[in-house]
Amino acid sequence: MAEVSPVNLSVDDKKRFQADALPLLDSLYAGALRMTRNPADAEDLVQETMMRAYRSFERFEEGTNLKAWLFRIMTNAYINTYRKKQREPQKVSADELEEFDLYRELKEHDPQWDATPENIVLSNLVDSDIIDAIDDLPEQFRLAVVLSDVEGFSYAEMAEIMDVPLGTVMSRLHRGRKALQKRLWDIARDRGIVKGAPK
Amino acid sequence: MSERCKEILERTYLFLDGEGLSVQERIEIEAHLEDCGPCLEAYGVEREVVTVLIARLRHHAPCPDGLKERISVLLEEA
Repeated sequence: MAEVSPVNLSVDDKKRFQADALPLLDSLYAGALRMTRNPADAEDLVQETMMRAYRSFERFEEGTNLKAWLFRIMTNAYINTYRKKQREPQKVSADELEEFDLYRELKEHDPQWDATPENIVLSNLVDSDIIDAIDDLPEQFRLAVVLSDVEGFSYAEMAEIMDVPLGTVMSRLHRGRKALQKRLWDIARDRGIVKGAPK
Repeated sequence: MSERCKEILERTYLFLDGEGLSVQERIEIEAHLEDCGPCLEAYGVEREVVTVLIARLRHHAPCPDGLKERISVLLEEA
C-alpha cells in the first residue's frame, strides 16, 4: 500500500465517516466478493478501501452519494492491486454472445415450456450456480452486472465508479446480462435442468 | 423475428432499468410489448434474470463480523 499519511480529519468528520460509512460494509463486501471472487482478497480489498476513503474523506462532498464514492475508490483499488493476480475466465466468447437469446433457447429446447420459464431454469439453479455464472463473466461485464443488479447503482453512478462514458456503461451492462444468460443456460444444461443441444 | 422486434429487444434492458430512453421511446417500446406476445415473453425472461440476481445476491454474503471489528479498530486508531 502507499505510504501512510496521518489522518487530518476533524473529530466531527471522523465521527461522520464512522456513522455513515460503516453501515455500507455489507454492500462493499458483496461488491468486493464478486470483483475478487475470493473471500480473503475481498476482505483485504474492503479494508484497503475503507482506509483510503478515511484518509481522503475531506475530499468527499457532503450530501453526495457516499456509497458511489466508496465504490469508486474500491474499483480503482481492485484494478490497481488485485486485478493482476486474478485469473481471467473466458467461458463466454464474444461471437456466441451476439446471437444468444435465452428466451429462444428455452422455447426451442423445451416444448412443454409456456409462460413460466423461470420455474424451469432459474428456480432450479441454486445460489452457487448463479454465483458461478457471474464469476465466469469477463471482468468488465461482471463489474457492470454487479454494480447495476447486485448493488443497485444508476447508469450515471456506474459511469462515475467505472470512470467510463455512459454509452460504455450501457453497452457493458447489455452485453454482460446477455453473457450471464448464456452462462446460466450452459449451467442449467450441464445440470440436466434443460435439454439443450450439446455445445 | 422481424427487424422491428430486433430493434425493440435491443433496448428492452433500458426499459427494464427505467433509464437511457426518452419518454417517446418508452411509449414506443411499451406499445410494441402490448402488441407482440413473443417480445413480451422475451422481455419477461430478461426481467426475471435480473430479479433473481437481486433476490439471491443482494444479501447473500454479509460482511464478516471479524472484518467489521478490525475496520472499526483501525479507524479509531488512525
